[in-house]
Amino acid sequence: MSDPMAEIKASFFVECEELLESLQDGLQVIYDESDDEETINVVFRAVHSIKGGAGAFGLDTLVSFAHKFETTLDEVRSGRLKAEGNVLKLFFTCGDMLGDLVREARDDETHDEARLEPVVNDLEKLIGTDEVTGEQTNIEFEVTALSLDLDIGTPEDAGLGSDPAWRVSFTPSSLLYANGNEPQFLFRALRDLGEIEVTCETPDLPHLAELDPEHGHMSWVISLKTNEAKDAIREAFEFVEDLCQLDIAQSQDQPPGLGNLPPADHSGTDEPMATMGGDADLPAPPDEITSDTDATSDEVHPSPASGSDVPTADARPDPQDLEPASAPPPPIPSDPSAPNARRGQNNATPKATVRVDLDRIDRLVNLVGEIVINQAMLSQSVEAVGIPPNSPVRTGLEEFQQLTRDIQESVMMIRAQPVKSLFQRMSRIVRESSADIKKDVRLRTEGENTEVDKTVIERLADPLTHMIRNAVDHGLESNAERETLGKSREGNVYLSALHRSGRVVIEVRDDGAGINREKVLAKAIEKGLIPPESQLSDGEIDNLLFLPGFSTADEVSNLSGRGVGMDVVRSSIQALGGRVSIHSEPGEGTTFSISLPLTLAVLDGMVVRVEDETLVIPLNAIFETLAVSSDDLRTFGPSTHVINIRDTFVPLIDLGTELGYRSPLGDYTGGVVLLIGQEDGLSAAVIVDSIEDQRQVVIKGLQDSYGRVPGIAAATILGDGQIALILDPADLIAQASGRTKPYSAVDPCNHPSDGTTLEVREW
Amino acid sequence: MSLRNQLRIMVVDDMSTSRGLITQALDDFGIRQVESATDGHAALKKIATWPVHLVISDMNMPGMNGLQLLHALRNAPATRKVGFLLITGKVERDIIEMGKKLGMNNFIPKPFRPDDLRNAVEAIVGRL
Repeated sequence: MSDPMAEIKASFFVECEELLESLQDGLQVIYDESDDEETINVVFRAVHSIKGGAGAFGLDTLVSFAHKFETTLDEVRSGRLKAEGNVLKLFFTCGDMLGDLVREARDDETHDEARLEPVVNDLEKLIGTDEVTGEQTNIEFEVTALSLDLDIGTPEDAGLGSDPAWRVSFTPSSLLYANGNEPQFLFRALRDLGEIEVTCETPDLPHLAELDPEHGHMSWVISLKTNEAKDAIREAFEFVEDLCQLDIAQSQDQPPGLGNLPPADHSGTDEPMATMGGDADLPAPPDEITSDTDATSDEVHPSPASGSDVPTADARPDPQDLEPASAPPPPIPSDPSAPNARRGQNNATPKATVRVDLDRIDRLVNLVGEIVINQAMLSQSVEAVGIPPNSPVRTGLEEFQQLTRDIQESVMMIRAQPVKSLFQRMSRIVRESSADIKKDVRLRTEGENTEVDKTVIERLADPLTHMIRNAVDHGLESNAERETLGKSREGNVYLSALHRSGRVVIEVRDDGAGINREKVLAKAIEKGLIPPESQLSDGEIDNLLFLPGFSTADEVSNLSGRGVGMDVVRSSIQALGGRVSIHSEPGEGTTFSISLPLTLAVLDGMVVRVEDETLVIPLNAIFETLAVSSDDLRTFGPSTHVINIRDTFVPLIDLGTELGYRSPLGDYTGGVVLLIGQEDGLSAAVIVDSIEDQRQVVIKGLQDSYGRVPGIAAATILGDGQIALILDPADLIAQASGRTKPYSAVDPCNHPSDGTTLEVREW
Repeated sequence: MSLRNQLRIMVVDDMSTSRGLITQALDDFGIRQVESATDGHAALKKIATWPVHLVISDMNMPGMNGLQLLHALRNAPATRKVGFLLITGKVERDIIEMGKKLGMNNFIPKPFRPDDLRNAVEAIVGRL
């Protein structure tokens, strides 16, 4: 087993992250609303707990900083200091710093003294440098020793004390081992029934020289206290019953198994044997007989690290479910140091959670993906065999399909996390970046509890940081400018997350000046990104920001404009299967919308065929499907068609042509059209030969092998084992030539070097 | 029969790290009958079904703090005489005075080493 202290330390750092989160939360509440007592207490407690844990592991830098922070917070608690203005700002900085120190301690990095010092100085300005530590020497306290004649047993007598005791004697034959059984697992199964004590008996154990390793020599006596019936005990031995001698008998009043315990001397420990009616003053809690001498006890003892998991506890009813039998409702004494104005009583009972290694979850996710594929294959085979639709096989299969889907959703939910942690990091970015350029900026967040796949959250941090910095640096005007414009001096950056039709949409919005389109256009022409005579729509100009190498910052500031710009943001979001769009109103501000899939593992897709190729189109991109009739098609320009959808004309895109499977057909009557919608409302009609199926597909990334392929999001394995590409409709449409007429019908001179579609380069 | 085999202890702390550390230390002393709770309310519930000889509780906890827990214990007949060891962040006169009034058996300031804990426990229950 690994070092229990190392485990506790690791869990300390995990706990610190939770505490830091509630610390940030608390500060934000104080900032947004009020500095009520309870919120201050939450913040104080978080710092206090981090300090306490850090002290136990000798993390001195962390302790001393947390201590100063805590002392300052205590000033606020006692009303000597107000948490507002610069003090509150300092608290935010301290919170960030504390987080850094925790992470540095965790990763064994050295911390940057130069960064810490000014913060410590600021704190010391508030609290003074002279620590009041001398006080403790003056406090007189006399320890009250306990006279241990108290009667503690009453509720126990009624409950557990009456559990009948069983004596199980178990002598495995050699065959038991040969068949791969392991007595230890049987004991564990018994432990689930109640309190057990296992004694190994070795009278038959031959001398080492004569020992046949293939032969079993040992037997065990197990004393078990349980409410369960004899059959339940026997059941634990169900699979080995023929491979051992088993005797299960109810013990008499005599403590079970005690008479059969082997002499203590074989165990090698110096602990005296547990006996009833010992001579200690302390009355034995009823039925608690423990023996440290038992050689086999190691096998059934839990690891010492999980102290609350002692086997004695397993048999008990969960105390949480029971009303206290004797404890009165707790009266509250007045306590000067911790005010009782507890509003958040609900945080007294934290939700039960289990921490699970991420690798295990990922394995589960992968396995579920395989199940989905297998299930699809099975469905197809059943279909191929020609089993009638209402046969039990088919109904069973349908249920299986439903279950698979449920399992999949549940598993995906395990990986989902609220975006809160991400938003908190952004709140820090806003604080730091606005301070650097002396703008007053407030981050307003919404939908913090929206859940997204953990990987998505992690990989969103960098692009989002960049966008937030952009908003602060380029989006918002300076304080003075805002005042002249009649806006609030303090700029606002809004960060929101919400679920919209199977995707998560994250918006970064500022209430700044909006995009200066003249400047953007001029810059793009100057940099040779677009031809000088280009006529672009407002939306197209805004989208120029996403071109590689585009930066409008007049001077490269410390914050953004380092040459890597929105193009990097976009490519990293595309790598997550997401899309980013931009919307700007002059004088009102700019909004960036990121739309992301909820999971990176599966998607609902429509399987279509074009020129005998099978392709998958994400279902959530498809608004509508319809059959093409020649009445609906209109010629538009020399090479393209539009289709009339309820009196709206939508450009027609031939998937086969765009992907290079065929030349434009010119006549698309009989084809199937998929209406594709995008974030910005634009849609296109993508024409395919036929729709095969609608099903969940497991996403297999192409990125590692092929890099980014324009118009293609990923690949998948279909039910029949065939590989199909998953399209990225938005990307595909953005790059589409839109050609739907055969080349011969087009005047080659009139080939559009069109200014109407913005060419998006891929890299 | 040694004391440590029979001694039952309830560890109360909202931080799992602290619970882990204390439980680990007690385990090292050979005390195996240890349960833990995340706050005063949970501790009272557990003690009602699993009586203990000694409560080791943190002072600063959400919901019900250490002294409030002590007060509750002292006011219930079943737990009136239970031993109480308070873990304090910093030694504040007010807390210690209040503890004294409520019948706290001993206190130990954070951070402490396992030996400090052992001494503090032994001062209450006798040699382990």
